[in-house]
Amino acid sequence: MEILLQLIYSGVALGMIYAVIAFGYQLTFATSDTLNFGQGEALMLGALVGLTLVDRLGLNYWLAIPIVGAFGLLQGALVERIGVRPAIKIKSEFGWIMSTIALGIIFKNVAENIWGRDDLRFPSPLPEAPMKVFGANVLPMELLVIAGAVLMMLAVEFFNRKTIYGKAVVATFNDRDAAKLMGINTGLVITFSYALSSLTASFAGMLIAPLTLTGATMGAVLGLKAFAVAIIGGLTSGMGIIVGGIILGVAETTTGFYISTGYKDVPGLVLLLLVLAVKPAGLFGKSAIKKV
Amino acid sequence: MIRTVKLTTFASLMLAAGLSFAADAIKIGVTGPYTGGSSSMGVSMRDGVKLAVNEINKAGGVLGRQIQVIERDDEAKNERGVQIAQELINKEKVVATLGFINTGVALASQRFYQEAKIPVFNNVATGSIVTQQFKAPEFPDNYIFRNAAHDSIQAPMIVEEAIGRRGFKKVAILADSTNYGQLGREDLEKALTAKGVKPVAVEKFNIKDVDMTPQLLKAKEAGAEAILTYAIGPELAQIANGMTKLGWKVPMVGSWTLSMANFIDNAGPGGEGARMPQTFIQEPNTMKRKAFIEAYLKTFKPKNNRIDSPVSAAQGYDSVYLLAAAIKQAGSTEGPKVREALENLQAKVEGVVTTYDKPFTHDDHEAITANIPVFGEVKGSKVVYAYDEDRQKGADIRTKAVKKDAAPAKQPAKK
Amino acid sequence: MNRKYFFAAVIGFVLLALVPVFTHNPYYIHLVETIMIYAVLLFGLDIVVGYTGQVSLGHAGLFGIGAYTAGVLFLKVGAPFWVILPASVAVTALFGAVLALPALRVSGPYLAMVTLAFGTIIQILINEMTFLTEGPMGLKIPKPTVAGYKFDEVSFYWVVCAMLALSLLVVHRVLRSQLGRAFEALRGSPVASDCMGVSVYKYKVYAFVISAGFAGLAGCLYAYSEQYISPNTYNNELTVLFLLAIIMGGRKTRLGALLGATIIVLLPKLLDDLEAFRIVASSLAALMLVGGAIGVGRKITTVATMAVPVLGTAALAAFSFWLESITDWRLSIFGLMILFVVYYLQDGIVGFVRSLLGRRSASQSAEHHVLASGQGDPILQAVKNTGEDLLVAKQVLMQFGGLKAINQVDLRIKRGTIHGLIGPNGSGKSTMMNVLTGIYVPTAGSIEFEGRSVVGRTSSDIALSGIARTFQNVQLFGEMTALQNVQVGLHHTFDSNFADIALATPRSRREEAAATQRGMGLLAFVGLADLADEQARNLPYGKQRLLEIARALALDPQLLLLDEPAAGLTAPDIKELVSIIRKIRDHGITVILIEHHMDVVMGVCDTVSVLDFGQKIAEGQPAEVQANEKVIEAYLGGTAA
Repeated sequence: MEILLQLIYSGVALGMIYAVIAFGYQLTFATSDTLNFGQGEALMLGALVGLTLVDRLGLNYWLAIPIVGAFGLLQGALVERIGVRPAIKIKSEFGWIMSTIALGIIFKNVAENIWGRDDLRFPSPLPEAPMKVFGANVLPMELLVIAGAVLMMLAVEFFNRKTIYGKAVVATFNDRDAAKLMGINTGLVITFSYALSSLTASFAGMLIAPLTLTGATMGAVLGLKAFAVAIIGGLTSGMGIIVGGIILGVAETTTGFYISTGYKDVPGLVLLLLVLAVKPAGLFGKSAIKKV
Repeated sequence: MIRTVKLTTFASLMLAAGLSFAADAIKIGVTGPYTGGSSSMGVSMRDGVKLAVNEINKAGGVLGRQIQVIERDDEAKNERGVQIAQELINKEKVVATLGFINTGVALASQRFYQEAKIPVFNNVATGSIVTQQFKAPEFPDNYIFRNAAHDSIQAPMIVEEAIGRRGFKKVAILADSTNYGQLGREDLEKALTAKGVKPVAVEKFNIKDVDMTPQLLKAKEAGAEAILTYAIGPELAQIANGMTKLGWKVPMVGSWTLSMANFIDNAGPGGEGARMPQTFIQEPNTMKRKAFIEAYLKTFKPKNNRIDSPVSAAQGYDSVYLLAAAIKQAGSTEGPKVREALENLQAKVEGVVTTYDKPFTHDDHEAITANIPVFGEVKGSKVVYAYDEDRQKGADIRTKAVKKDAAPAKQPAKK
Repeated sequence: MNRKYFFAAVIGFVLLALVPVFTHNPYYIHLVETIMIYAVLLFGLDIVVGYTGQVSLGHAGLFGIGAYTAGVLFLKVGAPFWVILPASVAVTALFGAVLALPALRVSGPYLAMVTLAFGTIIQILINEMTFLTEGPMGLKIPKPTVAGYKFDEVSFYWVVCAMLALSLLVVHRVLRSQLGRAFEALRGSPVASDCMGVSVYKYKVYAFVISAGFAGLAGCLYAYSEQYISPNTYNNELTVLFLLAIIMGGRKTRLGALLGATIIVLLPKLLDDLEAFRIVASSLAALMLVGGAIGVGRKITTVATMAVPVLGTAALAAFSFWLESITDWRLSIFGLMILFVVYYLQDGIVGFVRSLLGRRSASQSAEHHVLASGQGDPILQAVKNTGEDLLVAKQVLMQFGGLKAINQVDLRIKRGTIHGLIGPNGSGKSTMMNVLTGIYVPTAGSIEFEGRSVVGRTSSDIALSGIARTFQNVQLFGEMTALQNVQVGLHHTFDSNFADIALATPRSRREEAAATQRGMGLLAFVGLADLADEQARNLPYGKQRLLEIARALALDPQLLLLDEPAAGLTAPDIKELVSIIRKIRDHGITVILIEHHMDVVMGVCDTVSVLDFGQKIAEGQPAEVQANEKVIEAYLGGTAA
């Protein structure tokens, strides 16, 4: 029983990381119908930049977070400028898919050359000794991850709902041309949504780095699983993402233990295929009827 | 138009230059993982090789010709090893290849060298069957040689250390899913059976796995007192970190890869005390070793003056000298002649690991025997002698133990 | 196959087959062999990516399935080569179907992610199921032995050559058949495709399964070629490489696939060898400069557009001279190539060269079709008119959120009549059309056509049961010719399947010839026979509308829905249109006509129904409706003066 609880704790922490990254997918999809296939790499860069700040330059972890966030904003804007905007302009149907993939590949390779190909250790800001909650072990860092993820999502939701930017986002999503006519700089809105999405990803990177090893390849599988979470939860629902994340995280840790660690990635991916086959809008999503 | 002409001229000149250099030089392939999780072994091996090659070339080369190193990164991937083997044999036309760090890569790629009758010198890969792939009667001559301590030596050593010397009764085996890990695991299980012990847990994980909690939990539940490992640096570090996370720390005793820099650095305090068989510890306790270590540190300037994988560097270095001696003795670079020379090496070769005196015969292609490796221990972020008596006798050169009745050294019959 | 193309292909294959004769070095033979194997896979991938326009990130996984089917069958069952080869194709096609059936319900980024997930799952399964696949330790497979003869490097090379030729033949036949047209149609306009009886979903799945079959063949050949396979190979990097090959080589061309295969096989080798890379980068920069100069000279492109690629390649060449080792930057180069191709080489190298040489694009059929004389009536006589109701719609409600686009509308269409449907903009006319053709599912109400309910059936099903339509916003298959557009409408006349097409059986040839003739006949009916080989998007607007009608008639419908056919037409065109509509009615086909041109409505309709704000406000003979006060008020917003 204790083991099951332990697995659930780890699963929830893991799931929250997926949820935060998935959130980023939602942000860009909402404004531009595009996704950043290099989202995982945004997380990776955030973690590595954070590592340099904390490890090499000796900066305090908490102080490093906003700096990494700022870096994420820039990186996201760059991706949008180079990868997405030109593709949308030439109305290429899968141009932006290939270009965000390409940018992801380039980022990963650059990271490999700057930080090396080995996985590195990220010094944990919190004590590494596990705590006992209801008889099972939880790492303080895992609790931080859960708290940080929830906080980040609440912040973005607040931003979306209460500020004028949020309204601009909704407008751009609903009808880009009309929004433009209303004076909304839709290009800027899209750029900002990409910047925000990379911000959440790099923030997630800072959160997860102390729990796992940090390296150039950490982003790829995370990005894919976060996408699964986004689909399972529904690309339009924030709550859905959290629920989806928890489902995926726990499924993963329990499969890893009870079946075999090699198979731990499988349930999430299979769930993704199932959800897409049965209810493509996701568990919490709303299916909209498109007007022809 | 002019640009094309200029370019073509430039290109042909380069080609000519390359070709002319090639005509004189003795080309030796060096295959290993220079990137990825195994890279510290690969890079150290390659650097050891380069050190030796430079020394030999400075002294006039072999048979009056310079040695040219053709290095290729196999990324620890079996299929890449296959492709590189074909390229080195058919395109670069090497006379021999040094290398193979990863057992899987070796097993997949050696076939091509064997078919082409080109000698392969395994200076790091330790899977027991690596030198056993091509045996009589199907293959009258075997072109695969090795100067590393193979797993049929290491596994019993590990078991002896854990069960015999330190008296653990319950041990768990954690091995990775590659050929190296799985074959090593088999060797460990065999050695344990020989001592009448059964492991309480046998767990497996993939390269690049980060979370070892499930496997460690199972070992812990089964009451393991020590963990025997067969894996490489990054995953080994995760095992150590995993134990810290679980708040459950038991000794790690495993194969020689526990000496890798990326294990030591990433495991932090959790890695202290891990023990592994080593053919070479970075201590200047003989003239030859002192010279080697100093030259290496001066040329490659590794971090903290610590060779990333001392064993790989030393064995890489030695393999060049062994090969050079064979070529010299054969008076030619033809594969079959070099092979014969290796099997009947007349001159003694003074290496870093040991002094090689007739290290190979027609049926025995292993230069290292069980009496040569000692136990190393991770202490203070480096690898030191685990046992005082070994350290004190460090200066003693242990040479290969040859059976009196000249029968080939016993190898387990493996397929 | 046209003459020039056929000759080029034959010469190409002869040269390929002679490679082992010219060079005995197994390294080079193996290299060309790998290129050919990749090309087989790429032919199939092109169908999915180039023709149906779907991004698949899972083809490395399918490739792996092919390879491992071969490996496992050999290792565990000891099956002979002539069993393994078709088995690999079949098993991979099966996996392709299993993936495609759920995956192709979505499109765009969703599909890309799903196929990515699939590819990842396959790699994991191959890695973990060690009892079957030996996992990371890999499988060894020797060259095959057939009837006592053991293939060696050279003879197996020729086997691969033969397989490549076979694949080329099959792909060529498929793409020129009704299947190929269906693939292009579903990409050109999914809505129109469904409404022409070509179910978008079904054909996307076919395309995917066919491409999976090719991937399986390639995988099997690869296993024998490499003689060692391991799970590592079939990863996401490989799948992206495949996509790069298609996009860079050129979509919708076989030559592009071959070129792409060559590039992705030679590229890593090139990047391993710094010297060679420097030479190639410099040559590329030079070529770019020359090509750019020609392009600007011929006014195909401007200095500004060429500036980036020219400077970019020059910078790359300079960079290569500065670097010590290029292997570390291999992936970045590769990513940059993708970006370059996506922005500057959308038609791939083949497309770029073609445009430089002033040729037309690949999809242009170089054929010229003429109408045969003495042909029968192209339009099928409809079912005998016994005066009954053809279509009965009762209390139809179509609600979008809070908006009731159609509010409790009853409609009764008598067979053999021309029934007009008019009303001010936004009254629900087009929505009604969409409901009748299954594009929307009505929120409530019943609709029966020939006694069968229409509600809940797919558009293509409805189309095949006898309802055809045209669209308010022209939905032609732009890149296809006028004749090909009509032939898509004739899709339902084909009984031949994939096997028939691949083997070019008499049946498939007969059906294709019949469809061509009938298509020409339909084009002649609307007066477009001389524009048969023109790309639909190049036709003038008025002719495009007529083409839509011809295409709809190809379905042999009982009921034809015309959505504002006269919009944008000039007066003489309108007269022609009216006579066409009358001729259609004379064949017994019932017509529902949405129109704003009152004279057309009045002149040709038997009954008129009027909608306003989603409700029917009047119905009757044209003259009555015209005088109806409610109708006048709806249009003009007040009583007539």
